[in-house]
Amino acid sequence: MTSGTFIAGRGMLYLFDARAKLLTVLALCVMVFLPLRPLGLWVLVAATVLGAWHATGLRQALQPLRAILFLLVIMILFTPLTYRDGSAVLRVGSFVLATREALENLNVLVARFMGITYLCTLFIWTTPMADINLAFRWYGLSYKAALVFTLAFRFIPSIAESFVMIQDSHALRTSEQQEISRGTVHLTDIVPTVTSALVVALKSIPYLAMSLEHRGLGRRERRTSYRRLVARGGLFTHFLLSVMIPTVFFLVFNTI
Amino acid sequence: MSNGETGNKPAMRIALMAVLTAVVVVFTLLVRVPTPIKGYISLCDVVIVFSAYLFGPWVAAIAGGLGTGIADVIGGYAQWAPLSFLIHGLQGLLIAIIARSPVKGNVAADSPLIRLVIAGVVGMIVMAGGYYLAGGFLYGFEAALVEIPLNLMQSGVGVVLGIIVSRSVLKAYPPVRSLAL
Repeated sequence: MTSGTFIAGRGMLYLFDARAKLLTVLALCVMVFLPLRPLGLWVLVAATVLGAWHATGLRQALQPLRAILFLLVIMILFTPLTYRDGSAVLRVGSFVLATREALENLNVLVARFMGITYLCTLFIWTTPMADINLAFRWYGLSYKAALVFTLAFRFIPSIAESFVMIQDSHALRTSEQQEISRGTVHLTDIVPTVTSALVVALKSIPYLAMSLEHRGLGRRERRTSYRRLVARGGLFTHFLLSVMIPTVFFLVFNTI
Repeated sequence: MSNGETGNKPAMRIALMAVLTAVVVVFTLLVRVPTPIKGYISLCDVVIVFSAYLFGPWVAAIAGGLGTGIADVIGGYAQWAPLSFLIHGLQGLLIAIIARSPVKGNVAADSPLIRLVIAGVVGMIVMAGGYYLAGGFLYGFEAALVEIPLNLMQSGVGVVLGIIVSRSVLKAYPPVRSLAL
C-alpha cells in the first residue's frame, strides 16, 4: 500500500512555498462560493487542469476527473430534474426536462466542484507530505498534533502489511468454494480478521509510547524539533503572490 | 511498564492516536466489504466506533477525523479531506460521549447494549447528515441525496461490527483496558 501523495514533476508549483500555497488554495476554495461569473469558475478549472497537465502529464492530470466522474453524472442527471423553476429549455411532450435556471445552476455547481477538486489535488501532488505538516505547524499546529500526523504515516505501511498477512492466514482456513481476493473481506470471516488486526496494532502502542519517551516526549526539554521550511526568494514574495492570485481573480470575475 | 503502562501519559496518548489513525487509514483504503448491489463499503466506521467505545472521545475524534482525512488524500479525494476530518471527528466524539460508562474504571464498551446502540445511531446520523450537508454545498443538495443510503449502510455496518469487535478485542487482549485513557 502506497501512502505517498507527492508526484515528482516540473513547473512553478513545485517552487511555491507550502505555506503560501496552502493559503492560496484555501482562499480560492472559499472564493468559488462567492458571487462570481461562471466564466471565472471555468477559467479556474482550466487553469488548474492545465497546471496539473504541465506539472505531471496528461494521463495523471485526468485522474481527478475520473475519480469524480460518477458524481458529475449524478449531478447532470439529478440537478435539472429537481430544480424546476424558470423557463423550459428541454422538454419531452409536456414534461420539462430542464429549465434555463437549472442548467445555469448545474453549470456553476459542476465548475465549482471541479475547481475545488483540482485545487486540492494539485496542492497534494506538488507538495511533499512533510512540507504540508511543517506548513500546518507554521500556522500553529501543536508539536504533539504534528507528531501524531507523522507517526500515523510511519505506521500505515506496517499495519497494512500485517492486515494482509492476517487476512491471508485466515484465508487458508476457508472453503475452496469461497472466492478469495486480496483487499476484500467476506462477512463470515470479518470479525476474526478485524479483531486480530486490531490486536496486532494495539500491541505496538506501548512500544511506540516507550520509544517516544526515550526521545524526550513529556519532558520540559524535548530532544527533537521540527525543521524549518525555507522559501526560495523570500517568504514575503511567496505570500504576496498567494494574496495577489485570489484577489486579482476575484476583482476580474466578481458579479458585485 | 507492564500492560502497556509507560508512566508517561502524553506519550501513550500520542502513540494511541497515531496507531489508531493509521488503522483507520488502512481500514478505509484496504479493507472492502462487498454489498448486495455489487458495490463496496469501507470499514473505517468500525475503527471509529471501536475507538469511541474503548478509548474515549478525544482519541476517537482524532483517529476518526485524521484517519479518514488522510485516507481521502491518499485515495485521490483530497477535496473531501477537511470535511471528512470534521464529520468523522464529530462522529467519534459524540459516540464516545454518549456511550461513556457511568461506572469508574469501565470502558464505554462495558455499557449496556442499548446505550452503545443509541450512541452508534447518533454517529450514523452525524455521518450521513454531515456528508449530505457537505455534498450539498459542494455539488448540490439534489445529487447529495444519492449518497445518504450508502453512508447509512456503511455507518450501520460500522456500529454493528464496532460493538462486536470492541467486545471481542476486550476478550482477546485484556491489557487493552490499561491503554484506555
